Amino acid sequence: MSHPVLVLGGGPAGLSAAHALASAGQKVLLVDKADRLGGAPILSGYARLVPSGEWAKDAIGGMVDRAAQHPLVEVKAGCTVTQFSGTPGDFVAVLSSGERRPVAAAILCTGFTHFDSVNKPEWGFGTYPDVVTTTQVEQMMSSGKGVRCPSDGRVPERVAILLCVGSRDRQIGREWCSKICCTVSANIAMEIREELPKCSVYIYYMDIRTFGLYEGAYYWESQEKHRVKYIKARIAEVTSNGQRLIVKGEDTLVKRPITIPFDMVVHAIGMDPNVDNLMIASTFGVKLEKYGHVQKAPSYSAMGGTSRPGVFVAGAATGPETIDDSIAQGQSAAMAAIASLKAPVAVAAE
Amino acid sequence: MPIHEQSLIRPENLVRQDKLTIDGVDVSGDWSTFIETRVVTDYNEAMQDEIAALPGGEYIHRCWQCGSCTNSCTVNAINPDFNPRYWIYLIRLGMEEELLRDKDIIWQCVSCNKCTYACPRDVVPEGVMKATAHWLELKGHTRPSTATVFDEVFSDQVFATGRIEEGRLMRGFFARTGQSLTQEWLVGMIRGLVSRLPVGLLMRLGLAAVLHPRTGGWGRTRQAIADYVAEQDASRRTALHLPPAPEARR
Repeated sequence: MSHPVLVLGGGPAGLSAAHALASAGQKVLLVDKADRLGGAPILSGYARLVPSGEWAKDAIGGMVDRAAQHPLVEVKAGCTVTQFSGTPGDFVAVLSSGERRPVAAAILCTGFTHFDSVNKPEWGFGTYPDVVTTTQVEQMMSSGKGVRCPSDGRVPERVAILLCVGSRDRQIGREWCSKICCTVSANIAMEIREELPKCSVYIYYMDIRTFGLYEGAYYWESQEKHRVKYIKARIAEVTSNGQRLIVKGEDTLVKRPITIPFDMVVHAIGMDPNVDNLMIASTFGVKLEKYGHVQKAPSYSAMGGTSRPGVFVAGAATGPETIDDSIAQGQSAAMAAIASLKAPVAVAAE
Repeated sequence: MPIHEQSLIRPENLVRQDKLTIDGVDVSGDWSTFIETRVVTDYNEAMQDEIAALPGGEYIHRCWQCGSCTNSCTVNAINPDFNPRYWIYLIRLGMEEELLRDKDIIWQCVSCNKCTYACPRDVVPEGVMKATAHWLELKGHTRPSTATVFDEVFSDQVFATGRIEEGRLMRGFFARTGQSLTQEWLVGMIRGLVSRLPVGLLMRLGLAAVLHPRTGGWGRTRQAIADYVAEQDASRRTALHLPPAPEARR
């Protein structure tokens, strides 16, 4: 095990994988295209995380320090991998700096790209300044400025959160559920109600998928304690009457059309495959599944495999994923990588 | 285009001109029929809080519209228009005019509480029905129910004297609800009582009917109850955005 393991991407999955490898005595080369580590929670300025309630900069920041300060971890920020060749235990990665680095294995922790709401123009993003995304609301909260209407800085009295923006939508080729947006939206709704008790928050949904234990802490809590209202309606369009935004749709439970005024409309944006996935797949010689995420090998025998031996994958690179699960997958991919290096020749059962 | 949901067209939303000429073309009668929009243009955010301020309505905000209450409802089995799930939704979003369309059947709840046991979120729909019927009365949308009138006559008398005197109670209740005191069944019942009860008891009943005795030392208790009733009444009126009571009940 003289060569380091290449970890591509320094978000929750990559940080977790790097730390796990280093803890087991394995050298790590941690490469991130951004100029700093942390991934989406840090680069996009998330506020309080689900389910811990910790600020992203503290929780993920701690992971960054833990990995980056480990003597066995070498960090290359602002850097990408341009070529990757060789066989398990003996790969060569060429970095964008021109360096050729021998590596024993690679773990792809390349994450996702936030859905760009401009691709759903009927919902007003890019047309009306007070139509924002969940990421923007997270930034309003994490920056300490508070939730305000971008157009004039006023405190909103009524906020609508539209779920499934860029998810579960065949019209734009996003057939998957992004998994986290229901819970994140319920969390944001509760935070808005806490910061602005006079502001009413309505969530427009097709289904609510606050899965597992999030049901109680987010879906029920948001209604029972914070009086957030959930309305089953897929919104047709967001327009404006000059003063306020107008949300149009059908309230399916009363079978009536609605045109309701709001001060702010929040798109609960989904998780797209990383925009760089075609390049990554071609560089590393791994397959993508039909929507463009990195294809996972069956996980019954070993976690984190891809279509190429010696190249592993973890986190949202494989599809929409929570932070906690990305961290778990980072660790299990690290375990799989170490196991593959210790016993490089797997004998198939006849 | 065929109209798939005929049930969504309401008679009051049909507009028809008996005489109408447009650009010289006579479109009188059915030719000028229009259907007015059913679009909901805003939510009345006060409504849920108003119902929640009344006893029984406290947990209405928990509802997630599963329909267990309506499915388990005794009255719904007989009258499909009796739909607690639907009314809870209308209240939560503040669709007041829609709720008022059903104001004359909401009181039909028989308080069997099957919904209360079926509800996965502990909304206590039976309580919400009670609170809603109460709300409709307080807001003046429905007249006080017979049961409410009885409660008022009963409690007024208890508050005043600390006692119940049945004859006076019945007279007051019958007077307030416009019922005759000479109905055959009532006369028969009183005759039966008079012929069967011991004379001593009859005399005590008669004296009580004339003298209205009070419980000893009732004055302070009476005042405390009156204060409490006035306080409760005032807080409900505030919660429902109603003007203060013209004179407090005593």
